[in-house]
Amino acid sequence: MNRLWSILAAAVAVGFGLITLFGLLLFPNPVTNALLQIAAITIAVSVLIGILNLYSVHLRRLFTRGRGSGYSLVMLLAAGLVIYLWLSGQDEANMTLLETVQVALESALAGLVLFALVYGAYRYMRRGVTWSGILFTVVLLIMLIGVLPGSGTIGQIRAWLLAVPVSAGERGILLGIALATVVTGVRVLIGQDRNYRE
Amino acid sequence: MSAEQLGTWVGFIFTLMVFSYLLGDNILYRLAVFVFAGLAAGFVTMITIESVIMPWLNATILAPTPNIGALILGAIPLLFGLLLLARTSRRYGRIGAIGLAFIVGIGAAVAVVGAVSGSLLPLAVRTVEDVRLAQPAADGTNYALLNGFLIAIGVVSTLIAFQYSARRVPGMPDQTRRGLLIRAIGAVGQGFIVVTMAALYGGAILTGLTIVSDRLVYLLSRLFAGG
Repeated sequence: MNRLWSILAAAVAVGFGLITLFGLLLFPNPVTNALLQIAAITIAVSVLIGILNLYSVHLRRLFTRGRGSGYSLVMLLAAGLVIYLWLSGQDEANMTLLETVQVALESALAGLVLFALVYGAYRYMRRGVTWSGILFTVVLLIMLIGVLPGSGTIGQIRAWLLAVPVSAGERGILLGIALATVVTGVRVLIGQDRNYRE
Repeated sequence: MSAEQLGTWVGFIFTLMVFSYLLGDNILYRLAVFVFAGLAAGFVTMITIESVIMPWLNATILAPTPNIGALILGAIPLLFGLLLLARTSRRYGRIGAIGLAFIVGIGAAVAVVGAVSGSLLPLAVRTVEDVRLAQPAADGTNYALLNGFLIAIGVVSTLIAFQYSARRVPGMPDQTRRGLLIRAIGAVGQGFIVVTMAALYGGAILTGLTIVSDRLVYLLSRLFAGG
């Protein structure tokens, strides 16, 4: 029986995948559009299932008085507030909550990343002298100093670095990612890669 | 005090709570993070239902005059969602693979088309055109052509830097080695990768600096201007 489900799963992935691929590559058709819509809604449903699971985990922790149950209460209250405001039609209050509290928290957390980045660069430079370390440090300094007004030659070097070697490196990395995506996608579409069975 | 003023002050307090992490992990920081997670989960729930699922249901199952085709079409994603839910069960996990296989199959097709039309072709064409369309400057120098060649060399060597195929070393079955040419080009590629990563790192630091200064201005304006 298990083998039957595995074969059926592979048939679903390969069949629907190939229909979508040919629809997108060769001729747009309503079937492909419907499949894409169904996939989008299915992903939305799975996101919802994931969030419901998050709520259930925190509810369980709250009721079993597990470690950090206070934090779970705070998390559930915050989520509950948004959902309550939404269901009671107080959209303006929800927007205020989003713009003032959520955005402030996001910005502050993003700001903290700066300190982590600077500390990470400091630790990288302390690891020892290597060619790649020296190159990394020099380019990093040029990137930071070159942005200052009146940086003159360093600013020009920065602009050239961004236009030529950085552009080349970015393209190489993006091409590598795209090639790997194509290989993995084709492996799924010909049934060679069947991780969804596990 | 209006709701907006209250929200602004709450945002101010949460900003301070988040920055308290600079003194070390503490209860204020963790509370702020859990509030953030809760609000984010609430907003994602709201947007997923309101902007994605309800319009779909309104157009299919809950349509004023639904036909059998619309009912079936509307129920399919819900069925796949239930199948995905079944994956959490040890007994019915195998059935859940069908829902996942559907998403993986369609996702693979979209990813292949997106990678070819969005990355592979445009980047390859751009790299070739940087060399082909390079024009000399008014003084006769052609740095554009030189830069075009450098970009082409950088792209190729970066790709080769990720090439890990190697031959076995004769007489040493556990050891492998890449060819000399591949190693040499790969080393050049690694140089390009280091330069790229340093530039991206610098960009991330500058972005972080902008955000921190924006937050500091916000905090100081709350403290000293009161509004």
